[in-house]
Formats: sequence, C-alpha cells, structure tokens
Amino acid sequence: MTLIRPRLQSLIFEVTQHCNHACLHCYNVWQAAGSYPRGELDTSRTLELLARALDETDCRHVTLTGGEPLLRCDLVSILEFLQRRRVQVTIISNGRLLSESTAASLIQLGVGLFELPLLSASPQVHDDLSGAPGAWQAVLDAMVNVRKAHGQVVSAFVATRRNITDLYETIRLAFAFGARGLMLNRFNPGGRGREHLVELLPSAEQVSLALSIAEAASVEYNLPISCSIPIQPCLIDIGRFPHLGFGFCSAGSVRAYYTLDPLGNLRPCNHSDIILGNLFETSFADLISSRQMQTFTCAIPPFCVDCSRRDECQGGCKASAQVCYGSLEAEEPFLYFNQPLARR
Amino acid sequence: MNISRRDFMKLVGVSVASLALTRCRFAPFATCYAPMPPTPTVLPSAMERLRLCWLSFGELAQATVDEFKQVLPPSIESIPQTVIEGVEPTAAPKTNPENAFGQQLIARHRQALDEIVTAGELTRPVADLVQEAYDAAVYHVWRSNAPITCYAPVIVNYAPVSADTLVRQSELVNELASQGNINPQTLANAQAAIQHDMAFYALTDAEVSSLYDRLIAESQSQAQAVPSFENVELEASPDARAAARFIINLLTSQ
Repeated sequence: MTLIRPRLQSLIFEVTQHCNHACLHCYNVWQAAGSYPRGELDTSRTLELLARALDETDCRHVTLTGGEPLLRCDLVSILEFLQRRRVQVTIISNGRLLSESTAASLIQLGVGLFELPLLSASPQVHDDLSGAPGAWQAVLDAMVNVRKAHGQVVSAFVATRRNITDLYETIRLAFAFGARGLMLNRFNPGGRGREHLVELLPSAEQVSLALSIAEAASVEYNLPISCSIPIQPCLIDIGRFPHLGFGFCSAGSVRAYYTLDPLGNLRPCNHSDIILGNLFETSFADLISSRQMQTFTCAIPPFCVDCSRRDECQGGCKASAQVCYGSLEAEEPFLYFNQPLARR
Repeated sequence: MNISRRDFMKLVGVSVASLALTRCRFAPFATCYAPMPPTPTVLPSAMERLRLCWLSFGELAQATVDEFKQVLPPSIESIPQTVIEGVEPTAAPKTNPENAFGQQLIARHRQALDEIVTAGELTRPVADLVQEAYDAAVYHVWRSNAPITCYAPVIVNYAPVSADTLVRQSELVNELASQGNINPQTLANAQAAIQHDMAFYALTDAEVSSLYDRLIAESQSQAQAVPSFENVELEASPDARAAARFIINLLTSQ
C-alpha cells in the first residue's frame, strides 16, 4: 500500500445514478448499454467512503454530481459531513428541485457554486434536449432562487447541432439571470449521448462560429466563458478567442478530476467508464498510480503523434474515444468527424 | 446579512488578497533615497513572518503563472517506452503543477500562527479562522492565475457584481419580459433579486454618506458615542470578528 496522500484540486462524487431528466447529450457512463455497476450505498457507508477519500488525499474541493444529486435524500448529511471536513463544494444539478428554501439551505451548508444547464433561450429547445417538459422554466427559477440566497451560479451550455445557433441569446439570458460565468462545452459523446452522436455532434465550422459569438458576448457582458471540453487547435485556431478560456485533459495531474461513483468505484474522470478499482478495497494512491491510469494518461491517437501541439491537446477527450470507439487511442468523435479540416 | 463564520473568513481572506493584487499597499514603501532598512541579524518574529505571508500574494500570482508555463503534459518521447509497449510502466509520466509556493506559504503561515498561539497571543479558535482566511486567499490567488483544465468550472468572480452589471441585467430582464416566454412570476422574482442585490451591494457614495449620517444622528440623538467596531452589529461571531480584526491589525501595523 502506498502511504503518500496525493494532492487533488478537486474530486467528483456521483452521489446517485438516479435522474429526473433524460438529456439526449447525457454522458453518464451507466446510461450507455453495458454492464456498468448500478446502485448506491446507504448513508453511513457513503460517509465512510467520503472519509476514506478525503483521508487518503489532500483534497479541499468536492463536486457533487449524479444523476441528479438533489434526488439523494441524505444529501444534507453528505453536505454536513463535507462542511465538517472543511471542503469546498460545488453541485452540478439540473435545477429542477432547487426551490428557494432548498437553495438557501444548501448554501448554508457550504455549497459555494451551482453548475446549472442553460441549453437555449428557447424553452422548447432546452426541454427537448433535457428530455423533460418544464426543465427550462425550472432552471430559470433555480437561478433566481440561488441568487436570492446570495449563492453563485455558473450556466452550462452544451453545444449541439440543435441549439448551437441559440448561443448568443442564451448567453444574454444567463447574464440577465445572474450567472457568474458560462461553460461553453461542445457536445462530448458518451453515455446516452452516444446514441445521438450524429444527430447532435456539431461540425468544426459550427463550433468555430459559436466561439466567435461567445468571444464577442464575453466582452459585451463582461462574463467569463470557458470551453472546458477540449477543442483541438488543429481544427479551430483557439488563439483567435483571447477572452475565452480553453481546457484540455488534465488526467494524471494534480488538476485531474478523479470521479468516485456511488458504490466507491474510482474512475479517471466523469466521462470515462474505466474503473480503476474500488476505494474500499484499494487505497486512492495505489489506484491512481496504477498501470491502467498511466495508460489512460499517456494515450494519444496515432493521428496526433507528429502534431506540434500534441502535448497540450492530447488529441482531445480520450474518455470519449474509449466510450465511443473502444480505445483510448482512437480519434474521439469531434476529431474523427472533422479530421479532413485538420491543419497539420 | 446571514453569513456563516467560515464564509465570512473566506471573504476576508479573498478581499485582502484582491486588495494586495490591485497594488493596495499595507505599509509605506521606501522611495528613492529613503534609507535602507538595516540587514536583519535575528530571525523575524512569528508576527513578522505571518505578515510576510500576507504580503506575498504578488509573488504567488507570478509563481503560479511561471509554474504553468513550465509544466506541460508529457511529450511522447518523455513517456517511458515500456508504457507504450504495454509493459509495466517505470515512472509517473506527468509532472504536476501543484501550487508549490502557495502550499509553502500556507505551511509557513500555520507555523507562525501556532507559535503565536503557544505564546498566548491568540486563542486556537481565532487562529484557526485566521488560517481559514489565509487558505482561501491563497486558493483565490492561485485559481485566478492558473489556466483552466477540462471540466474545471469557469473562474468565478466572487466579488459582488457592479452596479453597472445590475442595471444591465435589469434592462435585459425587462426586455425578456416583453418577449413573453418566461413565466411572469419568475421574471418578477428575477427583478426582485436584482433589486435586492442593488440595495445590498450598490450603494452610491451619496447613499453611503447618508447612511453614515443617519447612524451618527441616531447615536447622537440617544446621547451615545458612535459605536466602535466591536459594537457594530455585524452578523459574525465574536471569534470571526476577532480573527478579522487580527488580520487588519497585522497588515496595518508599522
């Protein structure tokens, strides 16, 4: 057993696999056809799991996600535990259950940031992508409720073929409703989203245009906008958008976001279905220094080996490549479908 | 305002860090021809070391930028060949930007605080809150200067939004109302939240002045002196107040 406590910037904990929405673009790994373990632990075992994760790492930030985390009936107990451990908490939610009183109590329990989806300025488009009538109205109410309790919201816009042209109006809506920033994530196929890959995956030209719009809107509204899902620089010159933040895969570094599922299985990230092992059986340090994890970290598609920006870009999202095409070294869908445009 | 003790201390820490980074000086700086201070021949006191920690945010910002410039994911050549060939890897392939300088500062701050507690100059609960504020300040400076990675949430500005932003938000909400998509009750709530923020955050100079005048007048009408900091009705615990006061004294002492 390794005794060192790895330092992590953040840990993602999937508190439940249940969800009250059915997003077409959902990347939850258990939504894909396959045999991913299902279920969740009771409260005491869950707290034991979290204690183990925090004891075995140097981690001060936990993101609670799902499924829909607010469906977990012992969420308050989990938050109280994290508060006692002096951990900063972010919640990724669809906002459906974020009433005024719930928002206030979650903020009181130390939730510093809510990531809520805002997929369109059109109710119909948002609701269709969410697979849930009334989702758009609910998320706007949730944003107001968080604001009234002096909490912080970041809006998440998943750019698909269905909504990418709504981006500007959606940014305006997010700004009007008090979002402190916007995550502009191009659709990254996985989970249920894999079934809708062709239907939803935007082209590089569409994403490039969306980035131009986001760049201008970021300046116009002084709103931070980040593009967290990797966008390959060979497909789009991201240097043209100085006001946008661009992220690349951080697997294997201190900024990795290892993901713990409700049963204690640890994965390299929330998009990956690779289980490194169970935290009840193996220490955190041993799991993340495993050969499996190193293979994940080092994987790069052969297409990218000669690229001058391969170290930064790493070919894009290797988790998506694995989930969609069965190999970490495959070209992930956004690169695969847009490869003819790649500037080498 | 109802705010938890921890959040209060974090806000104190982040505010101090933000002030430091916008070149707000806590002590007079030597000017041209000012005499140089003598070279210290004894170790600085715990209080002086603590103060130095709070005055190091500029260095931390620069160190963060430098750290990320140096650290890139591995090139293919640097990945052990054994990994590529599917044999047991021999070395960790990726170097980590770990906010090393920030961690050093936090450790130094904790050590100095412990000495101050041992000397009986500060109670343990207050020291813990001071440390909490410092941790938040270091994280704030690091996070503000480190590039984002995949799925890291966008860097959020925790400072109150400006009056200008609130006015623009209000105008936009009115515009959205005319489009008729959004539930009128939601729009009313959104406007109410903006108004609340305006009242809370965006007092004009004249309003602040008027508020002070009113408070002074109230005190005088009751034949009382203007309340001291200790007596102002802040919704923060005595420990949190003591910790905030300690930090202010630390940074403003000559």
